[in-house]
Amino acid sequence: MTAGPAAGVRVRYRTEVLAVGAMIPDFRESGLLVFFAEQAPRELHDIVVLHRPSVAESAPEPGDVFELDGERFTITAVGSVVAENLLRLGHVSVKADGAVTAALPGDLNVAKGRLPLPAAGSTMRIVAGGAAEADAEPTEEPS
Amino acid sequence: MAGQYKKVKVAAGRGGWGGPLTIEPTDSRPLIYCVTGGGIHPVAQRIADLTGGEVFDGFKSSAPFEKIAVAVIDCGGTARVGVYPMKKVKTVDIHATSPAGPLAAFITADLFVSGVKPDDVTEA
Repeated sequence: MTAGPAAGVRVRYRTEVLAVGAMIPDFRESGLLVFFAEQAPRELHDIVVLHRPSVAESAPEPGDVFELDGERFTITAVGSVVAENLLRLGHVSVKADGAVTAALPGDLNVAKGRLPLPAAGSTMRIVAGGAAEADAEPTEEPS
Repeated sequence: MAGQYKKVKVAAGRGGWGGPLTIEPTDSRPLIYCVTGGGIHPVAQRIADLTGGEVFDGFKSSAPFEKIAVAVIDCGGTARVGVYPMKKVKTVDIHATSPAGPLAAFITADLFVSGVKPDDVTEA
C-alpha cells in the first residue's frame, strides 16, 4: 500500500528550494545533501541547497519521513545538533545511508537510496512518522 | 608591530580534535568571523576580547576570506567545518567534530580545532 498524504499528516518542516550550490551534484552522488536557509553566508552557497522555510515547527525524529519533490525516505537517525541547526538556521546534512546512529552531530540519516537532485522551486518536507512506517525502504530506483 | 593585537592559543576541548591554534589578528586580517547564528558566540567574543580583533557576524553581512583571522563555527560536522579550512582560514568549531564529510581532506590540525569552550582560549 502506498501511504499517501493521509489525513492528519503532521508537517514538522516545509521549505522551498531557492538555489542549488555548484558542488551539490557531487555531494548528492555520495548520498549527501546539505541544506541551509537563505541567510547562509555567501561562502557557503557553493556547498548548500539554499531554501526558504514556510513551516519550521518541530525537530525530526527517527521514523519520520524526509520528502524531497515527493520522494520519501524514512528517517533512521537524528544527530544531536540537528534540532537546533534546522529550526534556527534551516541547516541540516541529509545522508541517505540508512544509518541508525548519526555519525556526526549535524547528520540526518535517512533510508538508503538515491536522493533526488533538487532545483530551484523544489519542495522539501519533514513529516511526522507513524503513518509512513510502512515504507521503510524506497523501492523504486530511478536510474 | 607588537602592541595593537595580541596572540591567543585555542586548544581542543573535551572530545575535540585538532589544534592548538595560535590566533593573532593583523591590520589586514582583523576579523573574528562568527558563523554560528543567533549573534556572536561567547568563544568568538573571548577571542576578540583577548586579541583586540573585531567580531563580525557572518550571518549579518559577508567578508572576504583574506580579512578573517579566525572563523568560529558551530558546525555539526559536514559543511562549515570544511569551507574555511579549504580557504586556509583557521577555524574553531564549538562542537566536538573530527574531519569528516566531503571536505574532510582540507581539515587539518594546523587549521582546525574543535570542542572549544571559552576557557580553552588562553593568552599566548
